[in-house]
Amino acid sequence: MSLFKNRLAAAGAVVLLLLAVVAVCAPWIAPYDPLRVSLPDALLSPSGAHWLGTDQLGRDVLSRLIYGTRISLVIGILSVGIAVIVGSLVGALAGFYGGWLDGLLMRFVDTLLSIPTIFLLLAMIAMDPAERLQQLETVPLLGGVCRAVFAALDPQIVVVMSVIGLMSWMGVARLVRAELLTLKEREFVLAARVLGASSRRLIFAHLLPNAVAPVLVSATLGVGGAILTESVLSFLGLGVQPPTPSWGSILNEGRGTLGIAWWLTLSPGACILVTVLAFNLLGEGLRERFARR
Amino acid sequence: MTAYLVRRLLALIPVLFWITVISFGVIKLAPGKPTDAAMAFNPKVSLEARQRMEQLYGLDQPVAMQYAKWLGRVVRLDFGRSFLDDRPVGRKIVERLPVTLTINLCSLLLVLFIAVPLGVRAAVRPGGAFDRWTTVFVFTGYATPSFWLALLCLAFFGVQLRWLPISGLHALDYESFPLIRQWLDTAWHLILPVTIAAFGGLAGVSRYMRSSMTEVLTQDYIRTARAKGLPERRVLFHHGLRNALLPIITILGLSLPDLIGGSVIAETIFSIPGMGRLFYEAVMARDYPVVMALVTVGAVLTMLGNLLADVAYAFADPRIRVGGQS
Repeated sequence: MSLFKNRLAAAGAVVLLLLAVVAVCAPWIAPYDPLRVSLPDALLSPSGAHWLGTDQLGRDVLSRLIYGTRISLVIGILSVGIAVIVGSLVGALAGFYGGWLDGLLMRFVDTLLSIPTIFLLLAMIAMDPAERLQQLETVPLLGGVCRAVFAALDPQIVVVMSVIGLMSWMGVARLVRAELLTLKEREFVLAARVLGASSRRLIFAHLLPNAVAPVLVSATLGVGGAILTESVLSFLGLGVQPPTPSWGSILNEGRGTLGIAWWLTLSPGACILVTVLAFNLLGEGLRERFARR
Repeated sequence: MTAYLVRRLLALIPVLFWITVISFGVIKLAPGKPTDAAMAFNPKVSLEARQRMEQLYGLDQPVAMQYAKWLGRVVRLDFGRSFLDDRPVGRKIVERLPVTLTINLCSLLLVLFIAVPLGVRAAVRPGGAFDRWTTVFVFTGYATPSFWLALLCLAFFGVQLRWLPISGLHALDYESFPLIRQWLDTAWHLILPVTIAAFGGLAGVSRYMRSSMTEVLTQDYIRTARAKGLPERRVLFHHGLRNALLPIITILGLSLPDLIGGSVIAETIFSIPGMGRLFYEAVMARDYPVVMALVTVGAVLTMLGNLLADVAYAFADPRIRVGGQS
């Protein structure tokens, strides 16, 4: 079983490597410009010229999928990054200090987990968060990072990844809290405390680095989930907006012609499936490895 | 049992508090005044309606007061009026709720009927061929976007083969049907949505069933049962399955938010007038009173589902309620 799983995890890693190459090299791999409209070529079925056919505006589906890889991976990975940061902070506070703070934070986590995720996501999108996110630039420390992110990415992509990240940190928080609860009783932490380390130093230098392994596993699994979530939001027309090609937005655009142009629906979904599967297999493989240690 | 129930109900209070804070946060964090949104998206809202709305939300008062007033109304199940058509939000939700609950209940049953045998069969010989195939199935299931599957099923069974209806709950001439035919017609329209909704929970539940059953099968009492010379069927189903099913009650409770959330997607794709579609429409139109109310209702439904699962668990397994008391 273990060997079987190891092989699956390796397969996942290889697929992800390939996808990363595709994302980075998109301009050189894509046979056409993903945004070039050519109405005479609309809704062509798959052929030698257009391997995966064209959409209702005559854009090459394969090229759009290749560029979509970028969007999906960027949103998936960055939103999990946000979730890991928020979750680690909340989990560390709750686990380290305990008491009423722990109770307060964990009941909040329980509550967020009891609200259907998609409800939370949609409610947050309904609040048009773009403006508020941009306000973060004025915050010291965080501001520089925010400015860089906004400069590098399309604002709607920042919105989508922030919304997903801010609504999926609860699992990490529970995990980190549980890890810290056991870690903080260990001798090396006690030793650091005796030497006079501050709480902040204990958390960031001694406790959190020792909780990296389980967080890494949950983050790997989380990227798959985040990519799925992005595709749902974009499919519902609330995520990445046209003409930007994300796998979800291609599915959204293909909805109207589902009866006559199945290739517009089949291929983006298959991309999502393979990518999410790869992340999950890798994550499970990592989990097994860390569990055995 | 009563003591257990009381304890369990008291534990819900902080969660309820946070639910209302979060729902209230939706309207507080939205840009501008909520009334601006109503004006921008629906110019037909009159000045009078606008003032009534501002008064309703007490926008001139401190936040804590606003929250307290809003909470006071929510407790009486008064969620205000929709920005879109000025109808009471509570009534809009109550109209839509039965459809969503029916679909979720049906798909929950379907999940059980498929996932339990699958998990048991896989657990009988861990690492065997069947187990491997279910593992592959589970991983693929986790990774499959259910809305994509819904679209493919629509294209194949609905458009290509014309076996199943593609949208709505009823045929066009539904009103003229006799009662039995009306039921059949509705059931007919529900096949695809229920199947798709069930697919979402299938992978998770069958996986938990497998691990629960594998664990039970290593217990001493299973060895005893086998040593007594009981037929394997009896060992598996009478001694094994009955114990392995217990944790599944909790898992079903935990999968409720996903089910309710999934109805947003399924109902949007299949044009079913349920709670999920109402939520989607409300978000698209920035109809904040409806959004707030549905966040609250969705969370409360989940909470009740979890409570029900816990109580059912305690009812089925005395160790829980006795153990909790000591």
